[in-house]
Amino acid sequence: MTSFLTVQERAVAINPTRSCAPIGAMLANYGIHGAITINHGSQGCATYPRHQMARHFREPVEVATSSLTEKTTVYGGKQNLLAALKHIWERFHPTMIMICSTCLSETIGDDIPAIIDEFLNTYPDVTIPILSVKTPSYIGNHTTGFDNFLKEIALNLPDRRKKKGETNGKLNIIPGWVNPGDIRELKRILREMGLRGLWITDYEETLDGGYYNPRPHFPRGGTTVEELRNSSKSLATIALQRHIGGEAAHIYEQRYNVPAHVLTMPIGLKNTDAFVDTLIAITDHAIPETLEVERARLLDALVDTHMYTSGLRVAFYGDLDLLEGLVGLIAEMGMTPAYILTAADNRAWGERMVELTEELGVESEIILKGDLHELHKRIKQRPVDLLMGHSKGKFIAEAENIPLVRVGFPVEDRFGYHRRSIVGYNGAIALVDEVTNAIFERRATTVVSNTLIETGVEGPTDIPITLRNGAAHHP
Amino acid sequence: MQFKCNQTLPERAIHIALKGPGGTCQRGDGTNCFIASNVATTPGDMTERGCTYAGCRGVVGGPVKDAIQLTHGPIGCAFFSWGYRPHLAESDFHIKYTFVSDMNETNIVFGGEKKLLQSIIEANAEFPDAKAVFIYNTCSTALIGDDGRDVAKQAEAIIGKPVVFFECEGFRGVSQSMGHHVGNETIFRQLVGSVEPEGDFSRSINIIGDYNIKNDIRTFEYLFEALGLRIIARFTGNVSVDDLKIMHKAALNIVHCQRSATYIADMMKEKYSTPYINVTLWGIKNMAQALRDTAAFFGLEARAEEVIASEVARIQPHIDAYRQCLQGKRVFIYQGGPRVWHWIELLRELGMETETAATTFGHTDDYEKIFKQIADGALVIDNPNVPEIEEILTRRRPDLFISGNKERYVAYKLGVPFVNGHTYDTGPYAGFVGMVNFARDIDKALHAPVWNVLHQHARPAPADRRTAHGFEEVPG
Repeated sequence: MTSFLTVQERAVAINPTRSCAPIGAMLANYGIHGAITINHGSQGCATYPRHQMARHFREPVEVATSSLTEKTTVYGGKQNLLAALKHIWERFHPTMIMICSTCLSETIGDDIPAIIDEFLNTYPDVTIPILSVKTPSYIGNHTTGFDNFLKEIALNLPDRRKKKGETNGKLNIIPGWVNPGDIRELKRILREMGLRGLWITDYEETLDGGYYNPRPHFPRGGTTVEELRNSSKSLATIALQRHIGGEAAHIYEQRYNVPAHVLTMPIGLKNTDAFVDTLIAITDHAIPETLEVERARLLDALVDTHMYTSGLRVAFYGDLDLLEGLVGLIAEMGMTPAYILTAADNRAWGERMVELTEELGVESEIILKGDLHELHKRIKQRPVDLLMGHSKGKFIAEAENIPLVRVGFPVEDRFGYHRRSIVGYNGAIALVDEVTNAIFERRATTVVSNTLIETGVEGPTDIPITLRNGAAHHP
Repeated sequence: MQFKCNQTLPERAIHIALKGPGGTCQRGDGTNCFIASNVATTPGDMTERGCTYAGCRGVVGGPVKDAIQLTHGPIGCAFFSWGYRPHLAESDFHIKYTFVSDMNETNIVFGGEKKLLQSIIEANAEFPDAKAVFIYNTCSTALIGDDGRDVAKQAEAIIGKPVVFFECEGFRGVSQSMGHHVGNETIFRQLVGSVEPEGDFSRSINIIGDYNIKNDIRTFEYLFEALGLRIIARFTGNVSVDDLKIMHKAALNIVHCQRSATYIADMMKEKYSTPYINVTLWGIKNMAQALRDTAAFFGLEARAEEVIASEVARIQPHIDAYRQCLQGKRVFIYQGGPRVWHWIELLRELGMETETAATTFGHTDDYEKIFKQIADGALVIDNPNVPEIEEILTRRRPDLFISGNKERYVAYKLGVPFVNGHTYDTGPYAGFVGMVNFARDIDKALHAPVWNVLHQHARPAPADRRTAHGFEEVPG
């Protein structure tokens, strides 16, 4: 059983799985209470992500723009950015301002930190932090913006003055690019364990808020700037996505002596165990009864559903950390992760995924620099039973009549996915149920694998059985 | 109205006006000068405007159903403009697929022309049935000086079909409106008139400036056809590249969206002497007038009256019923441009009055049309920003807010009924029959039981321990 790595070679991207960096920084900044984003670029660079986030979260999303125009491409965007800072400060009195750059401002070479300094010199009464994050669209993808933002937080906000042994008794948790529902579930896990988290950052409520009369000036929730200043005194930092927040966790370790634990996104049994075990190792707290019961319930769900899910071929696509976490649960459900496709050009990750899938005893094609058109072509050649990924996969799902289980960002054609959780034991149970029901929905009463129909085999006779020694047995 | 949120932003005063007695403009800066529009946004004012790329790729070029929609630039522009605007057609290639030359850092340093050429060739090879390749330029590729026009020419020779290059980089102009202009001009220059078909076109029209949002054209095309007219091209809802090539043959252009598409009607008038008429295809009076004006051009007046009478008879009972429920409601319309003045009369036909009107990118002619139609005392705002919208919703408390998806959730958080005028809640809303859909959606929004639930049971936000009292100190 061997997995293998391919790199898509086409120059043109057709139906990309990824978007661009500023939206990541904007999303992460929504996790800080009272913080406002200024996007330094064309107006579209603020309006497009706002629209995208509103479609996913179904919440008001407000982002300022420095409204660069033709003139500024000649003379530079400094005056516009200074004006934007002034207006945002005077009008909103935010707790923090984050400025993210764009293709335009990076290409014309605006020095944003210098402009911030000039602003602060002109307005000495402004004492809030103003961070600058580099987010041109031509580097990386949406996750890059999120990750760069977290690094800027880690470098700039925590208080460096710390007495020896001084602690706030909390754990820094960097969830990465997840949904508000995921943060809610992670918070619950910590509460069940009697632990207190300091969330970097926390858009659980700011992007899944309630209806209040009157409407609060800033959305309720979010980590405060004060908490972030205090994050240098935490017991440890746990980053739950390697590529979003992993480096920030290491900055905490190097600069503030806060030990870093960088884990796989806790999707499925083993990945959640690793998270819970880390919490236990750091704090000496025991696993509480509630989590133990949930864990057992997940095992129960896996065994209850295995006759419907074993051997199904799944194609899934999206961000590196989501895919890495998801493959764990897919293997636990006995499914074959036939195609794992990402837009990222990250060979090290690809090679790790080859090893990981082989360890898990599954066979996969891992596609780097891929797009959804490529995935569609693969599926036409050799079909799959199920798709997992964000909403843009619906075109393949419709064309090939394959169910799509929506995970990741954006989910814009369904309601409430931002409230759901796919992390932790409970998140895994919900996902197991959803996958199984998606198969039921398609087959009405009984499950027959697409793959098996295609090959004309009746019954699950060509599903390789993995023997205990790791070898595959083909009956 | 003095906006509290604008106390630190005096620049906004010239964009805000009341309609005074006799149609005067009482502007926010205390003068009677006309409302300022189509000028650069004040940086940091939380504008709702988009960019030139959005206006060109999203609005004008995007609906063309059999062109490869290729963005020359980084991934984000292509991702965000893909698949969400329901500019429907009989096929869905244009909605399902987006193409991008996917500029990375190396391309930005060394130039992206080679990659663009390769992208065009590859995209065409993957979808050989496409009739043309549309290329949309972006900020970064314009700044590094890629000669997209030249690449398009080379590509055209290689693939043997039109390759249309739109210079719609996001930083051009002050809003998406510039993108409409670029889209019109480029399509006119590169496609229109490139084929000379045989035949009799004496009773043919083009419908200019309709994008077939949620199949709007199904509500009015059959009416023009009932007059005995043939529709050659729609600019650009449900249109084929082949239709665009021969649209200069039409006897008359009917211009619906007079912001985003009058440009091409003017260019056709100048080059081909094609006359055009301005129409509104929403609401009973306006739709009837559009048919009458069109019929008058062709001498088909009697037929038009028959069509109008039978259509109005079909919908009038529904409209009367809805008017009973909607009578006296006060509306805030905020749309991109012309829909604001297109709908003032329609809302009156439903018994409602527009009390506040705003556009994202309207020009002076749009505001003149608004001032002509709107009632005395109404508030008119150009390029409103988020705090202004919130202040209108809380202080003026309109009964209904008609706007787009970004604003929907602001309205909901403030407990104001909302209808999506950009992409429609159900739709289509145009024509006679579409107006019944519009009225039904408005009625549903206004009278949904949820508002009683909210008003009776909503509570203030509980104090957030952390945010209300600062950092919570750890005991012990």
